[in-house]
Amino acid sequence: MSETRTTPNWSARETYLFFNDVLTGFKQWEVWQSFAWDETLSRYHRSMFGIAWILLGFAFFVAGVSFFFGSFARMGTGPFTVYVALGYATFQFLIANVVDGCAVFTGSSSWIKSSTLPYSIYVYKSLFRSLFPFLMQLIIAAVGIAYWGLPISWSALFVVPALFLFLINGVAIQYLFGLLAARFRDISHLVNTVSRILIFTTPILWVREEREGVIRLAADLNPMTHYIEIFRSPLMGTPGRALSWYVVLGCTVLVWTLAIFAASRMRKRLPFWI
Amino acid sequence: MFQLTAENLSLIFPLYGHNGAVKALEASSAGTNPKLIYSPSGDIIGVHALKRVSFEIRGGQRLGIVGANGSGKTTLLQVLAGIYRPDSGKLHVQGRRSNLINIGLGMRMEATGRRNIMLGGLAAGHRRGDIQRRLAEIEAFSELGEFLSMPVSTYSAGMRMRLSFAIATAFDPEVLILDEWLSAGDEVFRRKAAKRMESFVQTAGVLVLASHNIALLKRTCDLGLWLRNGKVEAFGDIKTVLEGYSRYCLTK
Repeated sequence: MSETRTTPNWSARETYLFFNDVLTGFKQWEVWQSFAWDETLSRYHRSMFGIAWILLGFAFFVAGVSFFFGSFARMGTGPFTVYVALGYATFQFLIANVVDGCAVFTGSSSWIKSSTLPYSIYVYKSLFRSLFPFLMQLIIAAVGIAYWGLPISWSALFVVPALFLFLINGVAIQYLFGLLAARFRDISHLVNTVSRILIFTTPILWVREEREGVIRLAADLNPMTHYIEIFRSPLMGTPGRALSWYVVLGCTVLVWTLAIFAASRMRKRLPFWI
Repeated sequence: MFQLTAENLSLIFPLYGHNGAVKALEASSAGTNPKLIYSPSGDIIGVHALKRVSFEIRGGQRLGIVGANGSGKTTLLQVLAGIYRPDSGKLHVQGRRSNLINIGLGMRMEATGRRNIMLGGLAAGHRRGDIQRRLAEIEAFSELGEFLSMPVSTYSAGMRMRLSFAIATAFDPEVLILDEWLSAGDEVFRRKAAKRMESFVQTAGVLVLASHNIALLKRTCDLGLWLRNGKVEAFGDIKTVLEGYSRYCLTK
């Protein structure tokens, strides 16, 4: 093992080191998987229902929303309940990438300051930890689909590329926000503020197709709408609008570009900030 | 052959206060401390932690680092361990590194001792099966018995040290970096740890140890490095370096 270090803030070498970090971290899947599982268990440690709280909490939320808001939607109670369950689960998974991403390095400072593990390990750990409740919540949605006998078509297979895109995005988003929030402590407060508004401005509790004018336009200008649509629509019978797929693909390129840019400039200084 | 070579390592510790800087205590003292880096307006923006540090250690050698508080010992260990990257200079490492710099860091407090052995082993790049095979041996060395199935948060400082030491040395490190590693251990464990150190050095590992315990350094190390304000004041035979350091301390 030989190491050479030079001073400049940006260089091809720093970019190379970032990709090397992302790859070597991924290969150490046993480490991030164990870390993620430990954290999940300790979060529900000593509670009577344990991990079942993920299911219980989500089921209560969806049942409550469909009871109070179901009559406002034209699509009917059954489809609307599934619509909310899928949309809310997807939203939570996606927003967790940004919110948890802010703490991905600051929360692991004890490990970053004592070991030489690739930093991406903490990103994969965080992503894997939020993937688990997401999949559990999808079970609830699946129960709803079966209960109301909603039609399932071949277009449901589009969830596979959608989930793949989510994971690809998640790595870049968490790495990016992890670095930014470690250096600039205001970022995580800002993210929390924005995420609270997003839940209402994104079509999750209301349906974009049932609205017109400014509200519909606002939904389309919100990238979150498109991220949710490419996952929710396939499970509700259509592959989703082509526009949504293009927006998500474009955003994926954008977040990776930003992550590479930030990492090649900031990664070196990370242990000093946390 | 395991080896550790440092060539002109320099590191500036950046400081981040409210506006990215820390106010100097008194305006009159601004710009006077050679270790600190000031902005044009007199704010402290960084600390020159290491300045052109060079040395070379080969397999089987034990380097002892001495110096006053704040002389850069721990920072140097963190650079050698690969935690901080130096601003300039080169570091060549041949061999798998393991460090014990901050006892308690790199542990999950709510997890049991046994689970931490597993996590520590995984983090050091070992397979689950290999760790499981060595688990009994590591547990026996730590002498923590029943406590291994209890959360680390219930441990005393000495018990944490035992566990950290057992994990750090269990997986055949080739370059071992330690900071004040014996301070919290009892007499029995110190002897045990010293014995493990000996067998480690006999297998041609490289040992780096920073300490204020002169007797310990004399016993354990054959090379010495004296750091003063982030610079190498002396490097060479441990006895010569320690004599110089002790003389310096008496004049203060």
